[in-house]
Amino acid sequence: MDDLLADFVAETREMLEASEGEIIAWEADPADRARLDTIFRFVHTVKGNCGFFDFPRLAELSHAAEDALADCRADRRTPDRALVTAVLAIIDRIVAMVDAIEAGEEFPAGGDEELIAALEPGAEAATGDATPVLEPHELDDSGAQQQSKKPEAPAALRTIRLPVDLLDRVMSGVSDMVLARNDLAHRLRQAGTQPTIDGPFERLTTILSDVRDAITRMRMQRIETLFGALPRLARDLSNELGKQVMIDLEGGDVELDREMIEMIRDPLTHIIRNAIDHGIETPSQRLAQGKREIGILSIAARQSGNTISIVVSDDGNGLDEDRIAAKAVATGLITSAQRAKMSRDAILQLIFQPGFSTAEQVSNISGRGVGLDVVRDNLAKVGGSIKVTSTPGVGTMFTLQIPLTLSIIAGLTVDVGDQRFAIPQSYVEEIVHASSKSLDFARVGESALVTFRGNRIPAIRLARVLGLPDDTVPDGEHTKVVLRLASGDIFALGVDNIHSHGDLVVKPLAPAIMRSGTYAGSTLLDDGQPVLLLDVTNIAAQFNLVSDARSRVHLDDENEAQDTVKKAARAMLFTDFNGRRCGVRLELVQRIETAPVSAIDTSGSAPRAVINGVILPLIGLPDGPFPAEKVRLLRLTDGTTQLLHAVREVDDAMELTDTLKRVPDDPMVEAVTLVDGQTVTLLDGHELFARFGEAPEHAEKPLCRLPANDWAQTILAPLVMQAGYEIASGEDGNEDVAIWFDDEFEAAVALDFDFKSPVIRLSDVPEGNDSADTVYRYDRDGLIAALRRARPATLKAGAAR
Amino acid sequence: MMKDLLLIAQIAGRRCAFPAEEVQSAIEISTITPVPGAPDYISGITAMRSQTLTVIDCRRALGFDPDQWALDHRAIVVAVDGYSYALRIDAIEDITGGVAEPETIPGGFGPEWSRVATGLVETRTGPALLIDLAALIADPDALGAAA
Repeated sequence: MDDLLADFVAETREMLEASEGEIIAWEADPADRARLDTIFRFVHTVKGNCGFFDFPRLAELSHAAEDALADCRADRRTPDRALVTAVLAIIDRIVAMVDAIEAGEEFPAGGDEELIAALEPGAEAATGDATPVLEPHELDDSGAQQQSKKPEAPAALRTIRLPVDLLDRVMSGVSDMVLARNDLAHRLRQAGTQPTIDGPFERLTTILSDVRDAITRMRMQRIETLFGALPRLARDLSNELGKQVMIDLEGGDVELDREMIEMIRDPLTHIIRNAIDHGIETPSQRLAQGKREIGILSIAARQSGNTISIVVSDDGNGLDEDRIAAKAVATGLITSAQRAKMSRDAILQLIFQPGFSTAEQVSNISGRGVGLDVVRDNLAKVGGSIKVTSTPGVGTMFTLQIPLTLSIIAGLTVDVGDQRFAIPQSYVEEIVHASSKSLDFARVGESALVTFRGNRIPAIRLARVLGLPDDTVPDGEHTKVVLRLASGDIFALGVDNIHSHGDLVVKPLAPAIMRSGTYAGSTLLDDGQPVLLLDVTNIAAQFNLVSDARSRVHLDDENEAQDTVKKAARAMLFTDFNGRRCGVRLELVQRIETAPVSAIDTSGSAPRAVINGVILPLIGLPDGPFPAEKVRLLRLTDGTTQLLHAVREVDDAMELTDTLKRVPDDPMVEAVTLVDGQTVTLLDGHELFARFGEAPEHAEKPLCRLPANDWAQTILAPLVMQAGYEIASGEDGNEDVAIWFDDEFEAAVALDFDFKSPVIRLSDVPEGNDSADTVYRYDRDGLIAALRRARPATLKAGAAR
Repeated sequence: MMKDLLLIAQIAGRRCAFPAEEVQSAIEISTITPVPGAPDYISGITAMRSQTLTVIDCRRALGFDPDQWALDHRAIVVAVDGYSYALRIDAIEDITGGVAEPETIPGGFGPEWSRVATGLVETRTGPALLIDLAALIADPDALGAAA
């Protein structure tokens, strides 16, 4: 609770600092509407926050000021100097009280009534300049301990407060560094392998990703810190209103940008107040409607990709469409003609319009509707949104979406026509290629449906979403990206091509573009080309692909359904280098890797490849040379050991619905089956791992001992390192290969030297020595070949170690 | 204030002035990525270093047909409310100093211009319309919707 109190004090101070200028400006021009609004929000927030704590005097003062200001906002009253003075006096008093709260002292009683009375329209004469503005020094009268308050209060905190601005700058600096790195990586790739640069560059990459992680975490906080205060708030409110409410919190471990947490604190509090005040009925009303006495208010946070959604739902009375519409017409928000054409949903969204409120009585709890427009504006400021859905008599659900702009997310880039778009990876459930017939495309009326894991899900073409001209690709033959929303709804998005996936630095888009509701941000590709990031949730909503309220219940059923479907055997299909259609059970596939041919080492007895610094056994290689610079590899694992299977082409993940026909004479083949009328050879996982599986081994560099002279250290050493060796130091003979000058070698042989490792002998003359075992010391290719030859053996030695 | 430097550009054949302090730079426009679904005065987005700029065709933003005018290969980069924009205009003319305070003229500037013009400003090279950036960038169709 102390933390909360400290937050309250800090927040009030911050807001005051921020609005100090406004207050002074307002004093100069009481008719200034914008200033009035700012100050109104200040007292309103103080009032709201007091709800957490037992500060009746603060609540009373701020409520009184809010009332007076609300009258001005509603043009029931013209602000004048007397009012300004009275409001400022109240703000000063609030500050003094907050100071006292921080110091843990009692604030001297009395004086509040005068301040409140001064707000009355007729009170000018009585107060005027004589308003008792409480100066800080007046507090000193309250006791001598006042002097010691400053050093005491902050002692416990071992944190510093930083302006979020600064964090943002650091964050965007790091983001820019990531982009610069990507650009550099791109250029390095074009320039070919340069070991002297690649090493430091790799190091830079590692450091950068560490820094990036740290910075990201620096800004993160669990949403628990926000949830912590809610049960108390709900309890106090429901007691006050004579209602019974049970609060159900979910997803407290979702991490959120600190600033975002601050941003949604007020909106969330507000929505909860509204729900308890207006949504949930009194116990007797509930019983009369056949509901349980206790109302349930559930708040669930979920992260999906670059969006956090917070869903606040109650099982109360629901929103009254007619009353909202009537109110909107009465306040001139819409005309009766417009109202007639509006859907229920559109009418409900009117509650977010400025100055709207259906509460007939102004209560201390949910105020007068200042909240929801402010809530929406605050969320919009950070690129978020709020929506409401409601079923009469069943309940109301507010969905807050907060995108994490300025962050780095994993994303998929797709092509439509000649344009490229990005999709947050976290939404992507699966990619199903056009060739696959497993989707079973069907057209029902104007809607397209595909079958995915046994369920029919809606399908929509991205070109249609974006209003791009129809392409020539026939319906149903697009590559489908199956997307799962935070609400659990699934739909398929048809695109022409999948381009790539990787980390994307998301930048905010200008408001005019955000308004289209299709995009969540933009990002730059490695080549500096800007790409738009699709707002998947919003697109789904625009095309009515989201199921309404109560969807959580729905979702559970859906999950169960999926579990049963999953039991059908699924396999990753591919074409191997002999042109044979093969499959491996999907459970075995850890990942699909793409590796340059140079990462593959076929010189040893068994081929191997290095993937991300790990050496893995490799099977399925073509007999001849590789057809391309890069090879697609399936990384298979049985949980402990791993192996790679080179493939010509990865086809698709498929369900094996046809019968599996055993093949007794080939142990490598589990069965043969039919997929889309073609035979597919299903590889036998057991045999694969029994024969080839190995625990992944880190590509520890083999050691090479060099002759002890300057030439070897300065000229030979770099070459040896380029060939992937480390230079052995010290005396112990643990090296994997040694390089000797031929004359020294012969001398050593003559002395019966005990060679602990294979030896590469260097000769001083190009072709002088007739022995075939030596390499001319400047024969670069010869040296590298010799070092390579020495390698497979050393790798085995490494594995045995 | 009008002693400050002004950047003079032609928009739809008219001389317009932007306070130089509001202009970040002028850049060569390279590739513009179109934004399907955005208002038509937004040509798309483009990259400047690691920043994304929203490219605005000022002629369209004012309701003119851009095909009637030349198009400078450079764009004016400005920041409004923390977002950066690249403004496409007919031509960038000059940077010059204002010689008098901006003033309005009887009869106004015409329906297209009144929304975005702060006033008429005399410069050393003749009169120009002083442009209010925020008004220029605001979506004319969405006025009031977001405010």
